[in-house]
Amino acid sequence: MSPAPRSLVWASFVLAIVGLADAVYLGYEHGSGSNSLACPETGHLNCTKVTTSSYSEFHGLPVAYLGVAFFVVLVLAMSPWAWASTSPQLRWGRVALVCGGVAFAVYLVWAELYKLDAICLYCTGVHIVAFLLFVIVLFAEASRVPEEEP
Amino acid sequence: MKREQARRQRRGRLMIVGGVVVVVVLVVAAVVVAGLNHKTKGATTTTASDAVLGQVTSVPAATYDTVGLGSIKDLPPTINGDPLTADGKPRIVYIGAEYCPFCAAERWSLVAALARFGTFSGLGQTESAPEPEVYPNTSTLSFHGATYTSDYVSFSGYEIQDTNHNTLDTPPADDLALLKDYGDKNQSIPFLDLFGRYVVQGSSYSPEILEGMSHTEIAKAMQDPSSTVAKNVDAMANVFSAIICQSTDGQPSDVCSSAGVQAATDKLSAS
Repeated sequence: MSPAPRSLVWASFVLAIVGLADAVYLGYEHGSGSNSLACPETGHLNCTKVTTSSYSEFHGLPVAYLGVAFFVVLVLAMSPWAWASTSPQLRWGRVALVCGGVAFAVYLVWAELYKLDAICLYCTGVHIVAFLLFVIVLFAEASRVPEEEP
Repeated sequence: MKREQARRQRRGRLMIVGGVVVVVVLVVAAVVVAGLNHKTKGATTTTASDAVLGQVTSVPAATYDTVGLGSIKDLPPTINGDPLTADGKPRIVYIGAEYCPFCAAERWSLVAALARFGTFSGLGQTESAPEPEVYPNTSTLSFHGATYTSDYVSFSGYEIQDTNHNTLDTPPADDLALLKDYGDKNQSIPFLDLFGRYVVQGSSYSPEILEGMSHTEIAKAMQDPSSTVAKNVDAMANVFSAIICQSTDGQPSDVCSSAGVQAATDKLSAS
């Protein structure tokens, strides 16, 4: 199998690191979520409301921490060394990861817009990164062609 | 030949991927566009009822005295700001929003306290935002469009957004700077700067105590010193009154020397 285009490999690696940094910040915000009797002055843009809402947990697990775990795995899967592997398990695993990521992002956007009436820009950053990784991984995998036998 | 076939297969895969990406983009766009248009309508603000205002602005002195500090444990912190004045009178700046449930709770105390030193006109009557906002539909008053006249103190009240998050009042830069300078990193509301000496950020009691109550029920409960509402709302009105009395040299004396206000004054002096 031919290697994935170098530009896509490095773009995915950098994006995964950016996503991880954003997820770590959101994990911190979730952990230190303010319970003060006050409203942020920002109206619809309200990270605290999102990161401390009932939708900030998924089956009892904090979504912020799930995000950190997800991006830790993504950083490993998007590293140039992982891309160099032709293991079908790794390749399909990577595709499954980004598909799952973008599906979960759509669910969270739905929760923000329909249930919470609030948008968290840092969450939106993570969603955009998840979508871009989805696009990059699919195109990178589709670009690969089987090596010709000698 | 094989290479040509591989190239064709690759082109086919890229087209499929392109199609998948387009479908995902369309789904996300549909969710976002529909979501942005999806809004639960909040209450409409009306002129406050005379019956409600009549009770809120004339809580008997005996009720205030019996309540004293009630359930209020934490008093507003002091700041070393520039003295806030207007027309030679000490000035209070309030920044809040109609959607905000914590502002909804705090307004009852503020209106009750200021009514002991002057007169409001044009106060509104509304509710905080509906679900999914916390403490949804908390009954409250609104300072938007209201004016306050007093011989002792000046008041500037801004409601920056209505219940549906539409822009209402835009505070002047100087007043907005107070929120930035003395507020927290979220610039949380409600925010009160009392004469540059005290700051209140957030409500002094939980909006939960007003849950499910109509305006009339809250106003009525404020008359009963044994009610949970009075022990919080009236008690905080005593605290506000005590702070105001510090800036008016104890005038008017009937208010400033009352037992309820004195209880708050003593606690302020001790803290």
